[in-house]
Amino acid sequence: MPSPGVTSPSCIYACTRFRVRRTTLLPREAYLRIMRMSIPEVIGYLSRQEEYRQHVLDLAHDFSGAQLIEEVVNRSLARSFRHAMATAPGDLHTLTGEYLNRWDIANVMAILRGTVHDIPRHQIRDLLVPAGELDAALLDRLLSFTNCGEAIEALQGWRLYPVLAEYYRVCGERGAFSRIENDLYRKYYADLLGLATTGCSGCRELIAYLRFEIDITNMRNLLRLHCAEEACDLATIDRTMIPGGRIPIALFRRLYGIEAEGEFVSVFLETNIVPVLAQAVRELRQDPDFSSIDAAELVWQRWHRRRRPVHEVEMAVTRVRLHQLEALSRRHPFSVLPVLAYLERKKYEVANLRAIARGKAFDLAPERIWQYIVL
Amino acid sequence: MPVDDIKPTRAGLLIVRRRLALAERVHRLLSMKLDGMMLELVRLTEEAAEERRTLEEKYTGAREMVAVAAMMEGATGVLLAALSVEADPSYMAGHRNIFGVRLPDLEPVMVRKTLDQRGYGILGTSSVIDDAADAYEELLMAIIATAEREGGVRQLLNDIEKTRRRVNALEFKVIPELTELRRFIEDQRDEVERQEWTRLRRIKKIKAKRTGGL
Repeated sequence: MPSPGVTSPSCIYACTRFRVRRTTLLPREAYLRIMRMSIPEVIGYLSRQEEYRQHVLDLAHDFSGAQLIEEVVNRSLARSFRHAMATAPGDLHTLTGEYLNRWDIANVMAILRGTVHDIPRHQIRDLLVPAGELDAALLDRLLSFTNCGEAIEALQGWRLYPVLAEYYRVCGERGAFSRIENDLYRKYYADLLGLATTGCSGCRELIAYLRFEIDITNMRNLLRLHCAEEACDLATIDRTMIPGGRIPIALFRRLYGIEAEGEFVSVFLETNIVPVLAQAVRELRQDPDFSSIDAAELVWQRWHRRRRPVHEVEMAVTRVRLHQLEALSRRHPFSVLPVLAYLERKKYEVANLRAIARGKAFDLAPERIWQYIVL
Repeated sequence: MPVDDIKPTRAGLLIVRRRLALAERVHRLLSMKLDGMMLELVRLTEEAAEERRTLEEKYTGAREMVAVAAMMEGATGVLLAALSVEADPSYMAGHRNIFGVRLPDLEPVMVRKTLDQRGYGILGTSSVIDDAADAYEELLMAIIATAEREGGVRQLLNDIEKTRRRVNALEFKVIPELTELRRFIEDQRDEVERQEWTRLRRIKKIKAKRTGGL
């Protein structure tokens, strides 16, 4: 049942604003134009865009080249996301805050690692993207602490603090940070799914979207674990898989032990990843005959040779997922979905500009760079 | 005893002969060592060239992987993953003996790491970070292997140069000088012997004349 807050006029107003903001993002033609520019020309182009102009002026004396572009787009992302948080009312605000928590996780982990490994604070500050709930002032305060425990104590008000509290005593020990990071992300998805089950408008679709994201992430991580030189035990699989997806973790455990093509393909075909993967590869290779079985066999080839996923295919899957999210947001215009669609689109606009800048800095061919653009 | 101090006596001749025999034996051994070292150098140089080619390929691959990682995750994402490293890669330096030459033997320590040892969380990163980490670990392994081979070649070249100087010194200086000295002492001794013989004959003649005169 939709909650009264979501269908309120403020919600309709907020969703409309996000849809309008969505239209202000860079269109496909703009990327085509940027692809033909050199890095200084890209900086010039960004300085003419209202969204980026001020950040270019602020950062131009500290950074240059591709680094300047990356810093500018990161600042713009942080500003847009904080603005989104301020715009979203009621339940939308809570969900948006929860969704943006992943930026806080990245920031907190960078600060904790920097504190323990004694990395210069200004270097850590450059890596922070304050796009979540933790604002720049709090992050600056966290940077001033000299040990891990003090930083964790200062985060008592953070919604993921309980996870950090569990590691208070072992913080800084070898291997602890990766466990903290994994647990934070597992809790992040659990909380997000928990909030989405409150019954808001579009939450059912949001849950489906999140569960699919979890499945994709789990499958990708299973491939990563499988292609590692050392065999991992089932406890490691349990520790690194995110619960809550549509594919049960037991199936991933089963997949990990399979070394026969027929069995692997038949088990993999049961998952909901296959149709999306097939569609992504169809679009990537312009091959309309690429079927689900072909997709399962493609994954088997990587699995069998202990190779990681092909990055271009990963990007193609991301494109398909984004299109699905946008289609859902159009179907549920006054729900949390338009907000998420905008946040994701903005994230990928930033990722696209960054990819172009970095690709040009490394002298990669434009066709190669284009494969990493999500439109 | 310096060569100049050797007297043209039987004892001197014995010393020179002993020295000459020793010098010829050392020359023969050093020549064999030189040949062996040259063969080892050829083998090691080929290996070093192969390692260098591999290193260049791995460097290109690593640059490409880090480019892709920077494109997908941003320099920020790559640096965050790099900050997670808890154990710095290093190497243990030892040596192995080839023809008495100490060649470096470098053993990588914590260069190739497991996912757990890398320090970053799997859920906070993507597979492109693994690929970049793999590529750089391979690059470090190649750097260590190349350093070992090229260090070995350099060490071997130094020793070949040293040994060649010794062989040349023996062949063109020590042995000819000792041979010359031996000939000189033998000539001197022959001369002394002839003088002695002549002196004895003369004395004998004088004695015979005196005996005949009485």
